[in-house]
Amino acid sequence: MREKKSGGLSRHTFRSNTLPALCMTGPVTVWLIIFVAVPLLYVAVMSFCSIDQNYNVVFRFTAENYRRLADTNYIQIYGQSLLIAALTTAICILIGYPFSFLIARTKGRKKGLLYMLVIIPFWTNSLIRIYGWRTFLGTSGWLNRGLEALGLIDEPLDLLFHRGTTVLGMVYCLFPFMVLPLYTAIEKLDRSMIEASEDLGARRAATFVRVVLPLTAGGIFSGSIMVFIPCLGYFFVSDILGGGNADVIGNLIERQFQSGNNWPLGAALSITLILITLLLVKLYQKCGGDMESLGG
Amino acid sequence: MKKRVIAVLMAAMAALPLSACGGGASTASAAGNAGELNLFIWTEYVPDAVIEQFEEETGIQVNVSTFSSNEDMLAKVRSEEEGAYDIVQPSDYMVQQMIANDMLEELDQEQLTNLGNIGEAYLDPSYDPGNVYSVPYLGGVVAIGVNTDRITDEITGYDDLFNPAYADTTVVLDDTRAIIGVTERSMGLSMNESDPDTLAEVQTKLLSWKPNIKLYDSDSPKSALISGDCTIGVAWSAEIALAMDENPAIEIVYPEEGAYKFIDNWTVPKGAKNYDNAMKFINYMLEAETGQAVAQEFPYLNPNAAAIELMDEEYRNNIAKNVPQEVIENAEFVENLDTDTLAILDQMWTELKK
Repeated sequence: MREKKSGGLSRHTFRSNTLPALCMTGPVTVWLIIFVAVPLLYVAVMSFCSIDQNYNVVFRFTAENYRRLADTNYIQIYGQSLLIAALTTAICILIGYPFSFLIARTKGRKKGLLYMLVIIPFWTNSLIRIYGWRTFLGTSGWLNRGLEALGLIDEPLDLLFHRGTTVLGMVYCLFPFMVLPLYTAIEKLDRSMIEASEDLGARRAATFVRVVLPLTAGGIFSGSIMVFIPCLGYFFVSDILGGGNADVIGNLIERQFQSGNNWPLGAALSITLILITLLLVKLYQKCGGDMESLGG
Repeated sequence: MKKRVIAVLMAAMAALPLSACGGGASTASAAGNAGELNLFIWTEYVPDAVIEQFEEETGIQVNVSTFSSNEDMLAKVRSEEEGAYDIVQPSDYMVQQMIANDMLEELDQEQLTNLGNIGEAYLDPSYDPGNVYSVPYLGGVVAIGVNTDRITDEITGYDDLFNPAYADTTVVLDDTRAIIGVTERSMGLSMNESDPDTLAEVQTKLLSWKPNIKLYDSDSPKSALISGDCTIGVAWSAEIALAMDENPAIEIVYPEEGAYKFIDNWTVPKGAKNYDNAMKFINYMLEAETGQAVAQEFPYLNPNAAAIELMDEEYRNNIAKNVPQEVIENAEFVENLDTDTLAILDQMWTELKK
């Protein structure tokens, strides 16, 4: 009788957790190993290789590639890249914050409309949109022609191919990545907190700085990470709008894999970019950032 | 030739000629059983109609694969098993490198009866003396495009480009060897210098050019010239020819110091399975009428002198399309350099672009 009962139970419970756990996580693990771990390892190994006279990668260990990264020219480009990323992030916060507040505070159809305004540009490839900016801002572009027609300028403005144009393109491309986490954070904001602050005699500015800002800081953090990191790698924006005068780290990598034909050096640059990214994400976690809000 | 096309567009463009040829090919193979021919050529470089006509005339089924840089091509030929391609289309310095690596088959001159159509200036090149392994197809030189509405001084050579009066005016190729080569030629040096002290002097001159350079663009340097965003362009002659068609204010200047030139070639890789078909194809491409069809579609430098004679007067008088002989004779090819020199060039380039 007793044995029969335990036999009956075993039909409903697994003897061990290994098999179901393997079934659930196995495919994802295999996927991650094949498409993330192995390529990453490949890049890491390549960064210690050399090239021979015919531009072939040869497996002769060298730290030369990393030594070359400390070149002053490279360091200046890292600096320029970080500056472009920082400016882009700051501008995205300044424009994105009020805009996200607006979406969060509007109701009904208008809210959907505002939200769509952020999403719709995604329907067109960003490369094409960036080329659009180049045409728009050019000497014979619509902006200059419009301003001339209005009599505001005599000579076409020189707008293209500067660091500022690159920042403009980056802001344009990455703005939605700032708005979406900000919106989520502001939407979650409890109105009664603001009311409580006002009831206790705080002015509007004090309420904003001491209540609203700390409560939405998570959104600002995750938005900043999602804008800052791609900025370091978006080489096509600096190529097309910066005209090669405002290179970011991504340009350095692209050049070594294409015209430079030095894959090991390119790999070393890639590893460096990955390390910078990891460092920033760690910093984000240290500041109390939530990893899940980076995913959404 | 460094032709870097944006990946997205490239994928789309590569797919077009492939599918077009695939369609033409299957009908041809049904018609006759003359075997096949595997081409590995630059994207957007051989007109589809020209290949289709070859299939019709010979019954040979032509399969086309494309590449967009010499280095990609080399890597692909290496990684494929021997005999995957019957014809590849390397540029000058790459021919030299492939010969050095014993990757090319000698061409049977007996079968190339039309070789005489090629202009004398293009035969017996430094990278392949006697044309043992290669026959020229198309090429170009790095010339100067000037918007004469906005630049009124006379520009005669590469050295004039460094004039501080032209601040923020110039579009140049985004190409290390080309731009450092132009600087070297402006100083009366070879484009293949490797002495570190000489290169240090070149670097000083190169950096003095920086204030003038507004845009680095290899994909379509003509666009900035046509729109007027840039008033001076350092680009392939074919690009400037196209810009001149669009904007009559633009003129082409061949540098008095002697230009940078490139020639892309027909070659047969070692172990090609359809050697005789490859010879037939190369000989067909050397025909005057074929050369004419190519010249009508692409304004690149065309070494086929017999084809140029068939072209109309407008083409022959256009020095951007029909590059004068003395320009070719004075121009220089880039050669392979050792990796130490390449590292110096890369460092110079990074310094320029930072």
